[in-house]
Amino acid sequence: MTAAIGTRPPAHGLRILRVEVAEGLRAIVREPTALFFSVLFPVGFYALFTTIFGGQQGFVAGLPYAATNLATFGAFGVVSVMLMNPGTAVAEDRTRGWLRVKKVSAVPIGTTIAAKVIAALPYAVAVMLAFSAVSLLVAGPVLEFGSWTRLMVALLVGSLPFALLSLAVGFVLSAGASAAVLNAVLLPMAVASGLWFPLEMMPPFVQNLAPLLPTYHLSRLALAQLTGADAGVHVVALLISTAVAAALSGWAYRNLRV
Amino acid sequence: MGVMTDVLDVTGVHHRYGATTALAGVDLRLAPGECVALLGPNSAGKTPVVGLATGLLAVQAGDVRVCGGDPRRAATRRHLGIVQQSMGFPPTETVGELLRGAAVRAGRPAAAASPAMAEAGVSQLRSRRVRKLSGGQQQRVALAMALVGDPDLLLLDEPTVGLDIAARRDFWRAIAARRDAGAAIVLTTHIVEEAAAVADRVVVLHRGRVVAADTPAGLTARLSDRTIAARTTLDDVALRALPGVLSVTRDGTRVRVATVEPERVLRDWLARDHELTDLRVEGAGLEQALFALTGEDPGTAGGNADPDTHTDLGTAKLEVPA
Repeated sequence: MTAAIGTRPPAHGLRILRVEVAEGLRAIVREPTALFFSVLFPVGFYALFTTIFGGQQGFVAGLPYAATNLATFGAFGVVSVMLMNPGTAVAEDRTRGWLRVKKVSAVPIGTTIAAKVIAALPYAVAVMLAFSAVSLLVAGPVLEFGSWTRLMVALLVGSLPFALLSLAVGFVLSAGASAAVLNAVLLPMAVASGLWFPLEMMPPFVQNLAPLLPTYHLSRLALAQLTGADAGVHVVALLISTAVAAALSGWAYRNLRV
Repeated sequence: MGVMTDVLDVTGVHHRYGATTALAGVDLRLAPGECVALLGPNSAGKTPVVGLATGLLAVQAGDVRVCGGDPRRAATRRHLGIVQQSMGFPPTETVGELLRGAAVRAGRPAAAASPAMAEAGVSQLRSRRVRKLSGGQQQRVALAMALVGDPDLLLLDEPTVGLDIAARRDFWRAIAARRDAGAAIVLTTHIVEEAAAVADRVVVLHRGRVVAADTPAGLTARLSDRTIAARTTLDDVALRALPGVLSVTRDGTRVRVATVEPERVLRDWLARDHELTDLRVEGAGLEQALFALTGEDPGTAGGNADPDTHTDLGTAKLEVPA
């Protein structure tokens, strides 16, 4: 038994993080059904749109639709899986009582939340690899490897605030209610940010609303990886979104009723 | 010479849920190696005390310390080991993975999982997925998780639900070993006899206040009540009509009569029922003491409906052969 309370070196925090992440990854590997169906919906829509419009010129000059769609619909893909999965998973943990066990353990709040976010990344990786495979099959190679890699990194890193927002909802609501609320957030945000259809096709009030949404900035950051446009404002917007979502999830976890 | 710090120090704690008072000035201290049972009817305040000690609840008024630290801090919670009725283990994990994870979370090497599994008797389950465990096996895994961090304070919340008699005995044997090594124990349970058997002290909570704190024997000694148990041909109405009878309850085919005048009641009862069999006179138990202290039905105060849980408390008994 320990006699005094002391601080632990950072290595101890990393060991806990590794344990927490491993638990999340094992859950995905051992029950891949959730991953499969989470990825199936966005990939199905992506395949549909790319099949219909894949050979046409995209709304960004000089780029085929299949390439720009990999950025914009890709943003929808990663946001949908990152927004839906961590929240419903922690809500189920809470219902079962496991979150109570975690909360009374000696795991710092930041480690718990970081682990949940990291453990959700395989969903985003899976959806982007599936999109890329479909794009390759339907439209052939439309991006150079360097552009594709930058696009992947931008979408994966840019999806983190959505996982944090998802956790904030999951810490508060039941699994069923979390799924309903997150869906109600996801679909309007996706449409209003031009992730399904080009923003130029939307009414003016939607075009004015879009820059207020993190999904818009993620899609613009993704497009910038293809066009080389300046993405500074989008990075800042996503950093602010991350800070707000992290604060929300931290508050929700701290005030968790278990 | 160093001053020994209380493992748990709850001082003047008040807690409210909205307009409802959950705790109204509760004090509770535990020294190393001490076992305290928190008893009381539903909504007496046991859950908030545990919630505050584990850091689940923020202190609104008063002070709560675990080994001198604030339990809201993760570092302080390394001193805690917790067994609760339902742990909600992730079904995809194996027992070994759960225990190695618990060891690391508690600041111990993953290898600490093996002795903890042996101590709780789950070593042979290490490769089994949690979803394939019985309720009793899950409780033993919960015990292993609580022990793996070598805690100073064990919080046991209905810890033996789902355990058979042998497993229950093993459970308390493991807890006793930790207690002998200096761990303090807080037990909340509805199995009153179990609390009486293992606790050094019983703290009775009622409506957010400590209404009594004493040894189990000290609490029961406050009552002069006796219980007469027997098989009888008399119905409840006839039994209640006997002079000196306070209450009549049925327990299967046996009837239990509470009284402060057992000799008088027995004389009259034997006179009316010549086929009276399986007679036993007992002193007041902790359950009756709880009833007297809280004024609430023992059913809600933690009546033991499970015959497997019976533990001999050493109360005075007069056995009369049938």
